[in-house]
Amino acid sequence: MKREPKALTALKFTVLFLMLLFLLFPFYWTFLTSIKPYDELYGKVVTYWTANPNFEAYGKLFTSTVDFFSAMKNSFIVALCTTVVTLTVATMAAYAFSRYIFPGRRVLMSIFLCNNMFPTVLLLIPLYSIMRNLHLLYTPTSLVLAYTTFTIPFSVWLLIGFINDLPMSLEEAAMVDGCNRGQAFMKIVFPLLRPSIIATGVYIFMQSWNEYTFAMMFTNTATRTIPVALKSLIGQLGVQWDLLTAGGILTIIPVCIMFFFAQKRLVEGLTAGAVKG
Amino acid sequence: MRKRLVTRKIMAVATAAAMAASALTACGSSGTQATEAAKTEAAKTEAATQAAAAETPKAEEKTSDEAVTIKFQYWADNTDYSALMQDIIKKFNSENGKGITVVGEEQPWDGGAYAENLFNAKMGGSDVDVSTWKLTSTPLFVNNDLLLDLTPYVDAMDTKSDIDDNIYSVMKEAGGDSSKMYVMPWNIQVLYVYYRPSIFEKAGITEVPKTYEEFLEDIKKCTLDTDGDGKTDVYGFGMRGAKGGQEPWGSFVHGEGGSFEDLTSDASVAGMQDFIDLYTNGYVPPTATSDGFNEIIANFQSGLTAMTIHHTGSSGKMEEIFGDDVSAFPFPAGKGQWTSMGDTETVIFSSCEHPDAAFEWVKYLATGEGQKMWCEGTGNVPVSKTVGAGDYFQNNRFMKASLDGESYAGILPIRDTTTEWISDLWPNTVAQALTGDITAADAMQILQDGLWK
Repeated sequence: MKREPKALTALKFTVLFLMLLFLLFPFYWTFLTSIKPYDELYGKVVTYWTANPNFEAYGKLFTSTVDFFSAMKNSFIVALCTTVVTLTVATMAAYAFSRYIFPGRRVLMSIFLCNNMFPTVLLLIPLYSIMRNLHLLYTPTSLVLAYTTFTIPFSVWLLIGFINDLPMSLEEAAMVDGCNRGQAFMKIVFPLLRPSIIATGVYIFMQSWNEYTFAMMFTNTATRTIPVALKSLIGQLGVQWDLLTAGGILTIIPVCIMFFFAQKRLVEGLTAGAVKG
Repeated sequence: MRKRLVTRKIMAVATAAAMAASALTACGSSGTQATEAAKTEAAKTEAATQAAAAETPKAEEKTSDEAVTIKFQYWADNTDYSALMQDIIKKFNSENGKGITVVGEEQPWDGGAYAENLFNAKMGGSDVDVSTWKLTSTPLFVNNDLLLDLTPYVDAMDTKSDIDDNIYSVMKEAGGDSSKMYVMPWNIQVLYVYYRPSIFEKAGITEVPKTYEEFLEDIKKCTLDTDGDGKTDVYGFGMRGAKGGQEPWGSFVHGEGGSFEDLTSDASVAGMQDFIDLYTNGYVPPTATSDGFNEIIANFQSGLTAMTIHHTGSSGKMEEIFGDDVSAFPFPAGKGQWTSMGDTETVIFSSCEHPDAAFEWVKYLATGEGQKMWCEGTGNVPVSKTVGAGDYFQNNRFMKASLDGESYAGILPIRDTTTEWISDLWPNTVAQALTGDITAADAMQILQDGLWK
């Protein structure tokens, strides 16, 4: 095997290193801001490292009115529930749309997607009113319901694409071997769909984790999620950069860990399409 | 070979993690901003419902002995203010003696979208009774019958005279009906003139200007070439030509007897001409056309300017830098007198089932212990004369300058055009006038047409 010239390898690594630096610098800067002492943070001289790191902001996040622990807990509950509900409904719906030919199928699929064409704000007041009448306002359930109205249609469309790429012959073979439709789905289709489901799940999780507008409208102090908690640190006359950046760092740590374990499946899901076997 | 593979793998995982993290940073708002069209549509759809609701008799007002709960929504600029507000609420709940319990719910300021979010919530039937407020939001809520007219409550208030009549007038003006007051004053920021006593001394000025004409003269005197190289080292005045500059500019227009109602009058044009003359004659930094808040403050703090206009929000830092070598005076009177007022108020919503109890709370914030606690804790200027007369405010020269300006402080007319006028039209037009592209009269005609079209 012909070895790559050393100069080319060095160039590749330099480019990769620069890309990495470009991507990671904002996170470094966020972390640095979160540990800078007050005088250095608001001083006129810009420093790229601090000699006196101060982790007070991290403690203050949990002890002040921001109550970041509660916000993190709420965000996890909402994002996880939304992901589970959406994936359950969307996987089955996508399978039905892909495998069954029934009258009105195309129209239904189009109507499904129409929901995502409306600006969020148009649905804000009606949804608020509905949640209030259902006594769901200020509960995590209201957010899960609101988010699924947007994530289910999109996920259905996304999963239909994946399922359409799976050859029917695999299920037919399973059914010839004695499986019914449900067993064929669970034993053959579902395992093959796993990377796609993970990719879709990550998308849903990200949407729910980051969403602000509904979270701000449908929650109160007790049920507040991370985006709202962080936004409350940006006031009319100033920004609490230390708390804001500390919150940003704490927000991305658990998600980074999750991504670290899911990334292999995620890449598989995003590049799915190849026929197995 | 294996080592290279491992290195590649680590690089790939790190890059993927960084990309994932950047996509997941929760502080990035993915929420869509409300479009004007959507807002209008929503307003129209719900207007009928609201009108119908207004005709329905309200739930019977409970007697003062019964326990009532008032839901109060507010924004806080930082966690200290948030904790302070919770303390005020606790104090009120334990001391009001009327069975009123205020439940405070904090919402983000959201870059000014607080009012828009509140509007959406109220249109959706939110049960918020009282909220903190900005005057600019008043027309939208009044036009949709969402606010309670506070006039009868204020008229019956035993502490009514504790607030300056001028403040009440500004509140009424915001609602568009001089006979009705929908907004209760809470705290304000009054613009005043910062000056450096040491520069005044160098310029031979022995006392602060008492008239508008003296003020203009002192600006000229304070423009100094301190090292004798023929170049100006200290400019008399830090002019704000970028967005936000309409506030100090308004004082010049009124100083010549002009007004916002008729920007094309001779007096208004004369005020604009004064503004232009300061720039063209070199009494303000040459960067004034693009100087915003940060620049005028930095120029003053670096000693480049001898005077500038701002409010108590920057006084702490000024004192930290200059100690006793910084002071303030209210914008002096000429043929007229005006200074800009930043505002924060409270409102009671028409859907509130216990308006008497709600008013007890807003009164506590305006003239009671809540006023004292909030203003002392945040450094805002009190609207209560009694609170303002206290040592804490009288012994602070910046607070005193603010309080002295309270009687003639005002706001720009609140119209549909105001936001665009402030953001684009005023800075662009004034920049052209300062650089001599258009005359003062032409500039004022453009500004008049833009504001009152």
